[in-house]
This record gives sequence, C-alpha cells and structure tokens, in this order.
Amino acid sequence: MIRLDADRAVEFCDGFRRRDFLHAGALTSLGLGLTHMFGLKAAGAVDKSKDTNCILMMLVGGPSQLDTWDMKPNAPIEIRGPYKPIKTNVAGIEISENFPRMAKHADKYAIVRSMYHSAAAVHDTGHQMMQTGRLFQGGVEHPHFGCVLGKLKGSKGDVPPHVLLPRPIGNTGGNMPHGQSAGYLGKTFDPFVLNADPSDPNFRVPDMLPPDYLTSLRVDRRRNWREMVDKSVSKFETSQDARLLDSTFHQAYTLMSSQKAREAFELHREPEKIREKYGMNRFGQSCLLARRLIEAGVRFVTINMFETVFDEITWDIHGSKPFSPISCYRDLVGPMFDMAYSTLLEELRERGLLDNTMVVASGEFGRTPKVNPAGGRDHWPQVWSMLMAGGGVKGGQVVGASDEIGATPKDRPTTPAEVAATIYHALGIELETELPGAQGRPIPIVDRGVGPIKELFA
Amino acid sequence: MRIAVVLAFALSLRAQTSLRVLPAETELATRESRQQLVAEAGSGGFHEDLTNKASWVSSNVKVAAVDATGMVTPVADGTAVITAQASGQSASAKVHVTGMSKPFQWSFRNHVMPVLTKMGCNQGACHGAQSGKNGFKLTLRGYDPEVDYDVLTRQSLGRRVSLADPAGSLLLQKAIFGIPHGGGLRFKKDSLEYRVIQEWIAAGATPPSDKDSEVTSIEAFPKSAILKPAQEQQIVVRAKYSDGRVEDVTRWVKFSSNNEGTALVDDSGKVKITGPGEAAISLWYASKIIYSRMISPYPHQVSDAEYNRLPRRNYIDDLVAKKLRSLNLAPSAQASDEAFLRRAYLDAAGILPTPEEVEQFLADKSPDKRAKAVERIFEKDEFSDYWAYKWSDLMLVSSRRLAPNSMWAFYNWIRDSVKANKPWDQFARDIFTASGSTRSNGALNYFFLHKDPIDLTENVTQAFLGQRLTCARCHNHPLEKWTQKQYYQMANLFARVGIKSNTMDVNDVVVFAKTTGDVNHPRLLRPLAPTPLDGDPMALDSTVDRRQHFAMWLTSPKNPYFSRNIVNRVWASYMGRGLVDPVDDVREANASSNEELFDALIKDFIAHKFDVRQLMRTIMNSGTYQLSAEANATNQYDNIYYSKYIVKRLPGEVILDAMSQVTGVPTAFAGYPAGTRALQLPDTQVKSQFLTAFGRPNRVICDASERSVDPSIAQALHVINGDTLNKKLSAADGNVALFLKLGLSDSRILEHVYLSAFSRYPTEAERKPALEALAKVRNAKGDARRQAIEDMLWALLTSKDFLFNY
Repeated sequence: MIRLDADRAVEFCDGFRRRDFLHAGALTSLGLGLTHMFGLKAAGAVDKSKDTNCILMMLVGGPSQLDTWDMKPNAPIEIRGPYKPIKTNVAGIEISENFPRMAKHADKYAIVRSMYHSAAAVHDTGHQMMQTGRLFQGGVEHPHFGCVLGKLKGSKGDVPPHVLLPRPIGNTGGNMPHGQSAGYLGKTFDPFVLNADPSDPNFRVPDMLPPDYLTSLRVDRRRNWREMVDKSVSKFETSQDARLLDSTFHQAYTLMSSQKAREAFELHREPEKIREKYGMNRFGQSCLLARRLIEAGVRFVTINMFETVFDEITWDIHGSKPFSPISCYRDLVGPMFDMAYSTLLEELRERGLLDNTMVVASGEFGRTPKVNPAGGRDHWPQVWSMLMAGGGVKGGQVVGASDEIGATPKDRPTTPAEVAATIYHALGIELETELPGAQGRPIPIVDRGVGPIKELFA
Repeated sequence: MRIAVVLAFALSLRAQTSLRVLPAETELATRESRQQLVAEAGSGGFHEDLTNKASWVSSNVKVAAVDATGMVTPVADGTAVITAQASGQSASAKVHVTGMSKPFQWSFRNHVMPVLTKMGCNQGACHGAQSGKNGFKLTLRGYDPEVDYDVLTRQSLGRRVSLADPAGSLLLQKAIFGIPHGGGLRFKKDSLEYRVIQEWIAAGATPPSDKDSEVTSIEAFPKSAILKPAQEQQIVVRAKYSDGRVEDVTRWVKFSSNNEGTALVDDSGKVKITGPGEAAISLWYASKIIYSRMISPYPHQVSDAEYNRLPRRNYIDDLVAKKLRSLNLAPSAQASDEAFLRRAYLDAAGILPTPEEVEQFLADKSPDKRAKAVERIFEKDEFSDYWAYKWSDLMLVSSRRLAPNSMWAFYNWIRDSVKANKPWDQFARDIFTASGSTRSNGALNYFFLHKDPIDLTENVTQAFLGQRLTCARCHNHPLEKWTQKQYYQMANLFARVGIKSNTMDVNDVVVFAKTTGDVNHPRLLRPLAPTPLDGDPMALDSTVDRRQHFAMWLTSPKNPYFSRNIVNRVWASYMGRGLVDPVDDVREANASSNEELFDALIKDFIAHKFDVRQLMRTIMNSGTYQLSAEANATNQYDNIYYSKYIVKRLPGEVILDAMSQVTGVPTAFAGYPAGTRALQLPDTQVKSQFLTAFGRPNRVICDASERSVDPSIAQALHVINGDTLNKKLSAADGNVALFLKLGLSDSRILEHVYLSAFSRYPTEAERKPALEALAKVRNAKGDARRQAIEDMLWALLTSKDFLFNY
C-alpha cells in the first residue's frame, strides 16, 4: 500500500486525530480519496501562525435593519418605524433603543450597514449564502465555512472542529435549507449537531456517557468486536454513507473518552450568575456553550438563533400570523440578542479570546423600508446590517451605509461572498485555496476576485 | 497503463466516420432570420463537432449565404443546399428562404422580450426582482409581456422608450452603459441586441397583441452527443411558432448544465466536456424547457461477456444494459441468495427474514425461488405496514393537526388500500371525489390537513405529480414551464372544498363540495377558469364538483406526471435512487438518468392499470435489482445508472424494528399496545429518541428531504450509550436470555444471531475469532458469559452489515 503521510497528507491534515490512518487505503475509508488529495492545493492553504476561531450567529428570520443597527430617525414615520435610536460608547454610532447593553460595547464590534444579495427574497437563499458564500445552483452543494475550516485544519484536541448549536435550521418556507453541511467535502466534515436545548434544566449532550450498567471494559470490548465484525466487508467500500458511519463511531468514541471534551458541554459547571447574564433561554445558553466549546478547542461554532420562522417569535416580523410582530424586537427577540451578544463579547474579551475568535452575527436579509399594512416589514435582501467582532476586526466602526430610507446600499455595497472571504481571511485560510469537488474537480473557496472587507481590519 | 488502453481503444475506433449537418432542413422565414448549422461527425460511437473545422458552401448564394462558422443568412426567396466538407466527407442541409419578399418588423413578444431575458435584465437579481431595481420593474424572465410593455413605454414619463429619439431611450442608453447603470454594460452599440430594440422603437414600438404568433415548442440540435474528454459541442435551438414557422433562437436561449463535473455550457450554447458521465444541458426559451444530453463514456473497455453477466429477465435489464454500454460501465455480478433475500425483505416490507425463512430459502433448489419469495413477501402484513407508512409520509398523516380518531381513520384507509392493492389511480380518485364524514371516510382527512386552495395546490402537485409548484405562486416558475396563470387556474379547482363540523357528532368534521367560491389571480384580481396543469378548463359557472374534474384529469392515463411520479417514487425506494432525483422534483429540466427506461416503466404501469404491486414485482424480479452491491473495476463511482445495487442505510424505523426482532425485545411506544412496531405507528409525533436521532420525517411539508438517513455522531452515541439498544440486550426476557435458558452452544448461538441479523451463516473467518472470544468466558462465574454474548450481539447490531441494505 502506498503511504502518503510523508509530506502532502500531513500538510493539510495537520491536527487530524487519525494520523495513524493516513495511508492510502485508510484515507479512502475516510472519504479522502486520492483524487481529493491531489485536488487540494496543499501548499500554503493554511496559515499556521493564525489560529483563529469563529462563532457564526445566524439570526434566522432576518432582522430589520431599520429597527436594529441602521436607524433612520429622520425618515417619515412609515419608514423609520416605532423605535428610537440611542447613543453608544462610540461617538457617532447610534443603534436602536432595543439594544441598550450592546450600546455599551460598540467599541468591540463593527457594523456593516451595506450588506445585500440579489437572489430571490426567500429565507433559504440567504441562509445558503451567509453560510457558504454562494448560491446553490448547477447541482453543486457548497460547504459551510466551518466545514471548510474543519477540512483544512482538522480538529484541535478531542472536540470536533465544527459544532452546530442547538439544532439545524428547519423549514423556512421553501425546501429544506441548504448550506448547513459539508456538501461536496463529504459528510465526514459535517458539523457535530447538538440536537438539544442548552437552556433545558436537565440539559446534557444526549448519550455522551455509557449507562451505569455498562463498564468501560465492556464498552472497549464491544468496540473491538464491532471492528472485528465489520472487517470482512468489501461491498461498502464505494458507499460514502458507510465510510461516514465508521467515522461517526470513531468521533463518538473520541468524544466519550475525553474528559475535557465532555466537560466543555457541561453548562452546570458555570456559575449561575454567568448563566443568567447570557439569558436563561435557548439562544443565550447556546452563546455560553459556544464560549466553552471555543475554550475547549472547537474551531467553529454555528448558532442558529431560531429553527423556523413559523409559529415562533423570531426576527421575521411580517406582522401577521404565523410570523412575528414588530413589537417582539422590544419585548423578546431584541433583549434576548442584546443580553447574549453583549455578554459573549465581554467574556471573550475578559478571557483574552476575542483577538483570536471572530464573532459574526447576521440575518439572511433585511426588511422592507416601508412598514406594511399589518404593521410589520417583509423580506428585503437589497440591504441589511451585519455585526462583526473579534479575530482582528477593529471594533467601534461602521462600514458601508444604506441610503436615507435604508433601502439600498449607498456606500460600499457588500455581498455574502465578501463575508465568506472575510471569514476565511480572518481564519488564516488563503483565498486562492481550492477544494476537491465532485470527481476531484477543484472548486475555489471563494470566486476569483472576491476579497475580504478590508475596512474591518484597518 | 489506463492511458494506453484508452489510446488503443480510440485508435481502434477511428475507422468509420459519418458526417451530418443539423438541422437537415430548415426555414429562414424573415429577412432577419439566421440559422446556425452544426456539422457533426460520428465515429466509433463518438460524436465530434466539426462546425468550425468544416468548409461551408451554399448551392445558391443568390438564395442563401453561409459563412465559415456555418451561419446561414437569407438573400432571396428560394431553396438552397448548404454543404459542409470535413475529413474528406461531405454532408448537407436544405434551407428554404421564404421571408425576403415580406415586410418585416421586430416583435415585442418574440424579439424584444427574448433579448431582455437573455441579457438578464428581467432576472431575479435585477429588474425581475419582486420590487424591481431603481424604480424599474420587469416581470421575472418576461412572463408577462403586456405588463412589461406598459412599464417600458408608459411609466417614467416615456423616457425608457422614446419614439422621438430611439437611440436616446433609457432602455438602450442604460444597456450600453451610455449613462450610469447599476447592472453595467449589457450589450454593445454594434450588437444585434441593440439593433433589435432600436429598430423596434424606431418602427413605432408596436405593443404585444393577442395576434402575435407564440412559441409552441423548441427543439435542440443535437438532442444528444457522445463526446470524448475536453471536447466541445455547439448546441443549436430552434423554436416553432403557432403560425407554423421556425426560427433559430440559440442566441437568446438560457443554457445550464445539471452536472458540471461532466459538462459545462457557456452563454452561447457551447458545451465543454469536463469529465466522464452524463450531463443534461437544459435549454430555456420563452418559458419552454428541453434539454440536450451530453455523454462522455468512462475510459474502460468492457466486453460483451461482461454486459451479458446482467441477466435479461425483463425490459428493465435490456434498457439498463443499453445505458451501461453507452457509458462503458460493466454491471456487477448477481447478488447471492442470502443477499437477495435480506434485500427483498427490507426493501419490500422493512423487516429481516427470520432465521427459519433464510434456511428454507437457501435449501430450496427450484429455479424460480426468488420470484416465489417476492410473492410471499407481498402477502405479509409487514408489507402493508411498510407501504402504509411510506404513503403516510406522503399524505402527512400525523397527530400534529389531526385528532387521534381522525388520524387513525386516515391511516387505516391508507393501510387498507395498500393491503387490497388498490390501483394508484383509484387511491387518488377516492381522495378527490369523496364527500362526507372524515371519521367514516378516512381519505377525507386530506382536506382537513390541507385546508386552503393554495396549500392543496402545492401539496397535491408535490405528492401526486412530483412537481414543486410553489415558485409559480408569485411569478412564472423560473426553472419550469409553469406560469403563474396556470398556478391560479389549478388553485381554483380547490376553491370550493367546504369543511364544517358534523351536526351529529361534535368530534367529527364533514367535507363537502360548495357551489360558490373562487380563488382570484393576485394580479388580475379575478378568478380564472379552473384548469389542471396543461389540462382542459371547466366553466367558471359550472356547478359540477371541481374536484371531480381535477380527479379525472389527475388519474387519466394521458396525464404524464401522475404515473411518472409514483413510478419514480417506487423505483427510488427499491433502487436507492430515483430515475429523477430528488423524487419530488420531477420537473422537465431535471433530467432522468435513463429516460428510455423511465418511459418503459410508465407505459407498463399504465398498461397494468396503475397496479403498484405489479410495478414492484417487475422491479424485484429484474436482473438489475438483483445485482450485487460489490463494485467491479469499472463501476465504483457509478451511483446513477444502476450498474450495481446501491448500498443504502436503513431508515430509522426499520433499524429499530430489526433490533427488536433480533434481540426478541419489542420497543415500547407510549400510548400504543405492547409489541407495536415502529413501522406500525400511524404518527411520527410519537416520542422516541432513537427515531429522532436516526431521522424520521416530521410530516409537516411534503418534501422527500424531510427524511434524512445520514449517519451522525449523535446516532453513534445513542447506540453506544443510549438506552434503546442497551436495554434490549440486557432484557430479562429477550433472546439472549432464551439462548442461555435453552443451553445453546456458542457455535449455535453465533449461527443464530448471524442468520437473524445478516440473513446468512457466519463465514469461517468470522466464526473463528468470535468463538475464541466466547470460549474465554465459557466457564466464567456470574454474568460473564451472558455479558459476552450481549456484547457480541451489540457488535453485530451496530455493524455496517446490519445498518445497511446491500
């Protein structure tokens, strides 16, 4: 069997735990066929000196730019809406009164007020683009940023490189949303999905430990015997699902056997005071969990603030059922975000993690400048605001601007593709990196010519 | 070495070539008509586009001229023969010039709109956006020429189209970037696009009218091509109009490839092969979609003997073999008896055969034992359970919105239909033609689940037609031929479904046909004649139950979508992948992987009067279904053309039931009698951590991707540490306890668990280490032996051999 672990493989699989698997046959079993190996531009793909992490908050539903971080107090009432701006701790930057805590931390984050996309005004397109940088067409399933990072850098310690909290985005009206998986990189690089509510009083990662009646000796024996049973079969060699099954078992055992990994998920280890500061709700506790996971070595955490936009109070303020009313920004969604986001930035700063942890918070689009007859606002991908902090981003600034009624970018129009480039740049991944697509066809992580939002790093 | 083989192969094929010109006969019906000809050579099964290499000559340059690229232009009325010469051969096409004596005017509908569409002006990202761009809004991809004409000529003080100064029209100035334009330069001043619009304006900007000829169909040249790696192929598209004329519209067609790993296509219709396989190039023009298929065979050499390894039991095998031949893919060997039996039970009934059934089957020496086994499975109650479960996924049966009694009524109706092998057309008719109590007729709950016409329209088209119609709710479907008008004509069929509580029973609901009520088209603000997709309209004032009209159309043998949908769903369920994938996206632009086979299956299904079981019988008895899952040297990457059985992870419900079966310990479901299997549940709301981890649909939206079978860490953790499997293994009254009670030997136990979990005996290589391991605890004290057996069984039940169907 040819051994490939001399230079190339190690180069990009650095940190990948299964180093002993790194010869040709085993690589195939992990979904890394030869073609993939060569399809990858190994040299210089990853800047090792930069060990930056990322927390991506998907503000599912799409926050209204006009009622959050891009107020237009001088516009007519039907544009400016019901809320007033307040001053922040940075002179000249004002945000909505719904975010009083955030106002005290404006020096830590930058607001990009000129985000836009030109695909259909449905939730799914924005979710795709804000998690992969691309719109899905031509049958290519693009990978989530976190999965790309996992593929290129592997895991750090015993925790998976990419964790998704608390659950994937479900139905938002169209088909099941794309962009949440590793796509063409193969399911091996899919995120570890928590699938539990961290604010639940009995929260724990489901089945992280063996039951009392099972000794660790037996767990080991079972594992060995399972490998023995599985050894004889050649029919599964070409099945990606079968290869993935092996890898999920391996990862499960790694997770179980690491005390550090297990403890990272144990929120009860946090003082009650800290937990409350994040907000005792699903999103707040997910943010706290994200901080613990980053500390334990997880490279990328995706937090979905909501799972759906139906029959739940979210950012999706159409003003009528089954969607949300605009008042929820004041009563529920606003405060929930305000607490968790501010506390997270504060804690990351205190613990010295902010410099190497980028925090991105964005919806999938903005909302109509004009308040609709139901008193809400509808989908509006023409402009919205995004928050970026940490990982080298200079806080206390506004990048780009929308026009006087918050309808289109007036200054520095910014696309999701540029956000992708920005995140990769901050994570130390060269933008020229190509990934192995179907049959090894190289696909650049961002389209040629797309660059990061440089202003953020100035 | 592979390269050498390919070269030798290519050389051996060089011998024969034949040249042809496409289209072989055509018309230039106006003075502005053009025709791009394609010169194509066929050689040893490959095509080669020689259009740019050939020399082109017209037999009569006073009638038609041809340039070096094969582009023909009209000169005077008459007929000319255009000849291409290449590689020492010649071929020709006949061109009739008919329009030079007639006056000509660019038409808004047939020229200006296609230009705007091709140039992207009315795409979703630009002025086709819901809210337009910069105050200028066109209909998405030009679905409503009347509205667009109005916007162009009447709004914005007539500056967009200026009759007084055509060249000064904003429409042209913006497009050529003469003045700042957010969309940049769309076309140049010396382009044909510019001239079309400029001349149309100069001639008075004639509006679209009902008398305009309309595109009735489009045609591709070539329809398919077999190409070598890195080769290029020009595709030409011709439109046929309601007045009978044809036009080359290639320049304004929207091209896209469904498989960029095999072929890329550029804006001009030039295809480039990027890798082996098959790609469908979709061609969109004036809301019509067709495709041209590009095939690039794998560089393998496959002998006749290898193709003949696939037994020809019925037409499926002939047509699969034909496809495999075209791609140089050799079929795998036939599956063993053991593998076949396990596969057939799992695919048809979601259960494993019992050890006794396996032993009987293996001992049977009759040549038709596989066919007989298939019939036996069809008679099992579990067969009815399994398909009732699947159709319940499709009908969204769940306690989410249905009261328990109604849910049971609906479920029982579905299960009874499966058990009676109710023809699929009757199944659908029973839903759409009935009225009355939802308790006594469970099928009627469909109307309780889908209460409004919009919801009904979208779910019906998804479940019964495999079409995703949602896009057309707000505008013409951008990827499909469905228009917004058709959507609301269809929706109006469901405008008169009434639901009220039963006066006799407060817990019951009655569905009835109302005699009034309509759904308005949102833009026209009036109801349209209720019309099924591409079907006959009914009068708005007709008092016939509109659902009746719909049901007649839906279940007619002539309805191309109805049979296509169910055949594809059943095929996908057995074969691991739909002929069209995903199964609920059977739109025309989503090409099937073997159209000839798909057609044959549909015809056969209709000929057998929509007999679903007969369809399953045909599939299960085919040599194709019975192929081994093991790949050979040629087909390891094939997951589309059925050259081997596609390995699939079992659905969560099947795994759970199989674990119960092998351990002898049923799963308890709250609220259901002991012994109820997961596949017997009428509801997916039943609490089960196992099923949630392994993926089951919510039955909220009709979407095949609601059911996920992807392995995950959570699943691994659950079988390692979770209660479900562990409690089954340690149960006091399960099979492990039984083995010990009966005093079975290790060898007999091993045999039994292999037979029940894998439907086969352990091999010698498996037997030896397992028995050695068990021997170590043979005489140990306490629970040691029992624990070892539990652990051995655990290893079996979490292995790939168990969790997959192969």
